[in-house]
Amino acid sequence: MKKIILTILLSAGLFASCTDLEVTPTSFVTEDNYFKTQDDAIASVTAAYASLSLDPGEQSLFGRNLYFLTDMGSDYASAGVSATNPQVRAMSNLTHDATNDRVQVAWRQIYNGINRANVSIDNIPKVAGTEAVKTRLINEAKFIRALLYFQAVRLWGGVPIVLHEPTSIKLESLKSRRETVDAVYTQIISDLNAAETLPATYPASDAGRATSGAAKAILTKVYLTRKDYPNAILKAREVINGGYGYGLFESFADIFNKAKKNGKEHIFSVQFEANQAGNGSSGNNFQATSFIGYTATEPADIVSDVALFYDIYALGDTRRDESYAKQLPITGTANTYTFPKPIFKKYIDFSNLATPGNVAINFPIIRYADILLSLAEAINEQGAPTPEAYELINQIRRRAFGKPIATPDATIDLAGLTQVTFRAAIQEERKKEFVQEGQRWFDLVRWGTLVTEVKKVTAKNSVTERNNLYPIPQSERSFDPVGLPQNPGY
Amino acid sequence: MKKKLKIYSLLFILLLSAGINAQNTTPLIQSKLDGTVVDDITNQPIIGASINIKGTTHGVQTDAEGKFYFQTGQKFPYTLIVSYIGYKKAEIVVNKNPVTIHLKEERQELDELVVVGYGAQKRKDITGSVASVPKANLAQVTSSADNLLRGAIAGVVVTQSSGRPGASSSVRIRGGNSITAGNEPLYVVDGILIYNDNNNGTAGVSNAGSSINVLSTINPGDIESIEVLKDASATAIYGSRGANGVVIITTKKGTKGQDNISYQGYFGFQNVSKKLHLMNASQWASLRNDVQASIGQAPSFSAAQIEAFKTSGSYDWQDALFRTAAPVQNHQLSFSGGDEKSRYAVSAGYFQQDGIVIASDFKRISLRVNYERNYSQNFKFGVNANYSNSVSNGVGTNGGATAGRSPSPLVVALYQPPVVPIKNADGSYNLTNNPYATAVNGIIPNPINDLVSTTNETKINRILTSLFGEYKITKKLVAKVAVSGDVINTKQNYYAPATTTTGAGTKGLASVGDRLVSSVLNENTLNYNTTFGENHKFSVLGGYTLQYTQGEVVNAGANTFVNDANTYNALQDGVAVKPYSDAFESVLKSWLTRINYSYRGKYNLTLSARADGSSRFGSESLWGYFPSAGFSWNITDEDFAKNIKGVTEAKLRITAGTTGNQEIGNYLSLPAMGSVNYSFGGTLYTGLAPTRLANPDLKWEKTNQYNVGLDLSLLDRKINFVFDVYYKKTNDLLINVPVPLTSGYATVLQNIGGVENKGVEVGLITENIKTENFSWNSNFVFSANKNKVVSIGNGVDQFFPVVPNGSLLQQQPVTVKVGLPLGTFWGYKTNGIFQTQEEVNTQPKINSLANTKVGDRKYVDTNGDGVITAADKGNLGSSQPKFVGSFSNTVSYHDFDLNFSFQGSYGGKVFNALNQQLEISTLGTNANVTLDDRWTPTNPSNEIPRATSSPLGIVSERYVEDASFLRLKLITLGYTLPKSLSQKLGTKSIKFYISAENLITWTKYTGYDPEVSSYEQNNLYPGIDFGSYPNSKTFISGLNVTF
Repeated sequence: MKKIILTILLSAGLFASCTDLEVTPTSFVTEDNYFKTQDDAIASVTAAYASLSLDPGEQSLFGRNLYFLTDMGSDYASAGVSATNPQVRAMSNLTHDATNDRVQVAWRQIYNGINRANVSIDNIPKVAGTEAVKTRLINEAKFIRALLYFQAVRLWGGVPIVLHEPTSIKLESLKSRRETVDAVYTQIISDLNAAETLPATYPASDAGRATSGAAKAILTKVYLTRKDYPNAILKAREVINGGYGYGLFESFADIFNKAKKNGKEHIFSVQFEANQAGNGSSGNNFQATSFIGYTATEPADIVSDVALFYDIYALGDTRRDESYAKQLPITGTANTYTFPKPIFKKYIDFSNLATPGNVAINFPIIRYADILLSLAEAINEQGAPTPEAYELINQIRRRAFGKPIATPDATIDLAGLTQVTFRAAIQEERKKEFVQEGQRWFDLVRWGTLVTEVKKVTAKNSVTERNNLYPIPQSERSFDPVGLPQNPGY
Repeated sequence: MKKKLKIYSLLFILLLSAGINAQNTTPLIQSKLDGTVVDDITNQPIIGASINIKGTTHGVQTDAEGKFYFQTGQKFPYTLIVSYIGYKKAEIVVNKNPVTIHLKEERQELDELVVVGYGAQKRKDITGSVASVPKANLAQVTSSADNLLRGAIAGVVVTQSSGRPGASSSVRIRGGNSITAGNEPLYVVDGILIYNDNNNGTAGVSNAGSSINVLSTINPGDIESIEVLKDASATAIYGSRGANGVVIITTKKGTKGQDNISYQGYFGFQNVSKKLHLMNASQWASLRNDVQASIGQAPSFSAAQIEAFKTSGSYDWQDALFRTAAPVQNHQLSFSGGDEKSRYAVSAGYFQQDGIVIASDFKRISLRVNYERNYSQNFKFGVNANYSNSVSNGVGTNGGATAGRSPSPLVVALYQPPVVPIKNADGSYNLTNNPYATAVNGIIPNPINDLVSTTNETKINRILTSLFGEYKITKKLVAKVAVSGDVINTKQNYYAPATTTTGAGTKGLASVGDRLVSSVLNENTLNYNTTFGENHKFSVLGGYTLQYTQGEVVNAGANTFVNDANTYNALQDGVAVKPYSDAFESVLKSWLTRINYSYRGKYNLTLSARADGSSRFGSESLWGYFPSAGFSWNITDEDFAKNIKGVTEAKLRITAGTTGNQEIGNYLSLPAMGSVNYSFGGTLYTGLAPTRLANPDLKWEKTNQYNVGLDLSLLDRKINFVFDVYYKKTNDLLINVPVPLTSGYATVLQNIGGVENKGVEVGLITENIKTENFSWNSNFVFSANKNKVVSIGNGVDQFFPVVPNGSLLQQQPVTVKVGLPLGTFWGYKTNGIFQTQEEVNTQPKINSLANTKVGDRKYVDTNGDGVITAADKGNLGSSQPKFVGSFSNTVSYHDFDLNFSFQGSYGGKVFNALNQQLEISTLGTNANVTLDDRWTPTNPSNEIPRATSSPLGIVSERYVEDASFLRLKLITLGYTLPKSLSQKLGTKSIKFYISAENLITWTKYTGYDPEVSSYEQNNLYPGIDFGSYPNSKTFISGLNVTF
């Protein structure tokens, strides 16, 4: 019996020893079993695109977070009563400091996207697949990388250039130093040149991917920002005359019409689709923060000064009522609600008021109207407005007033301006055209008018020259204060 | 075959001989003896005492009146051996009939056996710091065993995160060691090792609210004893799971002797212990007018209306939130007993509690069988099996854009303007008449309706079973094999109808979730005991154990339902939302050993070591080693100390050792890719993005602990004093270390940080009075712990944990900073109110407010740069108390007994986020009544700012409140029927009692309760009160009957 009991006890003990300490996860992909097939390559580039529209637990980069820097940090947009983040309010007052969380989140989101692009660029060459597809995917990743560096270099100046994924968790291999502005632009231009070889169009099922036209359009803005007007003009003309089929929508309202996504005016847009960011959220937060119902309570995003930005539209300019809403019909009733202050309207989906976080309206990164105005600006900066430049700006104006775009209209068309007054006209047009499109702060900095323009808004009179750049996040500098010197004034 | 026969015959003989042994010897001569056994002091009869005649096998037991009767062949005088658990064994020479035997209570506490890891030891021989929960504590009304630890043991701090029935609590033994990994102690229930991971109480359904405490699956009524192992000498045998301390729970076992059937039951009711003071309609109308004035709007209410509200039209939403006299009941039927060979205890329990907040409750059915049999003289086996089924309905959380400010319907109810009616005239909930909120799909959500009509159910089924066999290979060598299984199945059902906040936007929202976690544990130990000569006692324990855990989670949901008829049981009737599933497994292999050596009981040495191999660790560090050493010296056994007056026992303990914490989660050393979506051509595609860098060096967190203790018993053990000082340093803390964001990653999980805990503990158990009819015992417990973060790696000295709430996330109320304790609050110091424009023009203003005006709050410009920015924030105190204590008393007088205990905590802070929100004036939400004293030109308050429409939460010292408290935790009055009476009723004993819990609390804290933690077990942001479920006052009356 002793033996039996011992045998039983022993066998119970033995049962224990046959399990291994190595467990293989079955609920997620590890990098070891990744980057084998072309589908893996596609999925990695999809992830790079997604860095523009999705950041779990945060507002996504183009879904609103960049807006704090590029719009709320400019003159026309401010933090409304419903904005409960003190950091956002500080941004709106231009009193933000280097610890501002919105600046830090934008920095993180941009470099997170850059890393995803780097992961694709580093690893796609080794997967099995068609070379043509692989090259295309790499160039798409380069487009995303360039787009993100273009945001970063304008927001912070010379930023660290990271071109490969990290391979170790040691601090030394994870940190990087600031580079010069020129070096960053050289990298951007190099990536965009590669992206110029992308297809001009995709099948409808792939609409929204970066195209060669998109690369040239971003290059136009890059050269314009660098005040390299000949190249800006060159690239803009390639966009216009390159056979891409771009054009202005006849109606300004169509630009933010869900049904006309990726239409002829949309050169490159961040795609937002219902449930894209998970259950009940698309990653586009603008509706939720612009419209909180038929109520007198101010939403979080609101125009800063009605007289300076809402009342300026001429009678008949359709852009006012497509960009702002002073009154709205109350859905399901015959009544109209009048807001104390006009609210932002571009990203409100009236077919989807109940789930404001799940709006599927794209965010335009660059649309054809921007190319026309950029070309006009570049031509004017080379000396004086030419007939071509007048035609470009007038097309924008005619469309705004609901007139046929190609037909000259003396009641609307501009004529007889000097370089200075033409410049002012372009600046005025861009202010009216690109409300809530992430352009305003970049425009004001490019024109060198940030301080004078922003000062006109009482609540924002803390603005100084320092605001032409954002601070390098304090948390980032704590790793390497020498390699990451702070921008002046912070 | 031959062998088998041999074995069977051996078995037969064994059984036979056992049968013979069990029979009583037939007396030769008829001689009678009547006797009674009573307590020496109280003269109460002792039931079940065994009496043997020395030199014979003749034995009897006393009956319910303490009486016994012998018919024996022995002649007077002969000697009786009388014994009973808890009393000194007596040998009495009898020479007449009848006889009364007085038994003295056993006070040799140091001889009692104390359950320790993988065995039991005499208290006298123990070197480590081990404490037992007093019996009186075990009788508390609670749904969960961890609450029994409250105030029971020095160095153990239990914080219940909310008053929700079945709610989880956090247990910290000697402070928190870890920043990101688990801080809960290891529980060992009848030898089964359990980490109380409250994730097992939820299947991940969103909006379901706080998780259920998985320890609530164990019926507290089944618990016989709870031991807490505190220092490394005691816990190192649990190796990589010992760092947070170990709680050993032993359930009730049968004992040899009479069969008992007992019923224990109580009924009671609960009320909210406190209400908040919110504005009434008149006050609120006036506030709203002022808010409107501040933004240039015309006032909504006329003076006449404001006056009229004083008499009618004010609605108390807080009242609608709470139940009055919410019932609680518990019934338990147990059978226990045993004979020479088997012992059993079987019980069935039913517990039901309605929460004090409407629509919340908890219900549990539990069954338990403990059985043990001596198969032979050398072999015994047994089973401990527990099954429980609990169903809980809870208060969910709110989702969507407003969830930051309005995390749950409970909070939203407090926000409701008091001029808005709760119900319509026809008794239905008001879903339309509220001009201060926005309609969604034609409905204005009503938080009371949200609570009542939302289904939020969690069902937990748990089976916890262990089988063991113990074989004496030789007299000195014992082998034990145990196999145990723990299966937890959690099912959640959630449905928010289209009339609720959460369901309105999507026309109903349903989700179901299921989580199944099973763990199998095999433990094999060998125990060798020997003595060399008179003086040297040795015991050696060796063992090998293996634990395999596997879990699966799935949840799915749907929205856009046609109507609210089918809810979560017909997801196919709605539009699917993205489902979720997950699976994980982990393996832990261990070798363990312990050597005890005792020299004449005077000097005791314990050495232990465990090696743990865990699948959770990185490939470069799979195995961890955890040694410890302990020494104790029984000073009073020394000749020089024997005759010190008044000192009965004195013992010095010194221990040191290393323990680990492997509660770091699964797979974290592997590089992970996460899925993200992006759409092309209107179709969503899945992308895979890297989310975690590989860390092959990932390993356990390591705690080195040093302890010096003194046990002192004075005046024949009337006073027992336990004193401990300890120092704990935890290294290799697992931290999501911030890394340069340019790497593409925000953090990397590394073993890099350090935390230090040091403290003192005092326990004082005294017998103040003991006479025949009156006795008073008390237990005083005091502990102070000082916690400090030593390092967080990469040269970083401070970071702000991300609190999972939109509003708190932005405010960053809590920080982890080197040199400060965990749970440190970080914010502004206030400096009164701007009284003049002159002050506004010249003094520093906060940068987040565009136009500071007279009447706004001033903050202190700590860095003197002329503007208030985040750089002016500073340390506002920590949620960790400076010291905690309790004082428990048991008084008995004749048949009455009275228990009362006080608990207190001093020096901890709570961030009252709820009050912060309630002191923000807006156009649409109610406010704390303090705002009635707001600054106005005619009321130049220097404390409450002017009314504005600016719902901006700012962390300031005003909302970091002192959470010190003293509480009359429990008071119980019991009456035991006299034996004569209870026997007439056909029972062995009957006891009635009434009891009140949380009767009185003295505190300055302005929220519902200073014992609060909205984020449950979390280490990084404890002590935040954002509308946690309030605590209750409980009154119960109960009955215990033994048949």
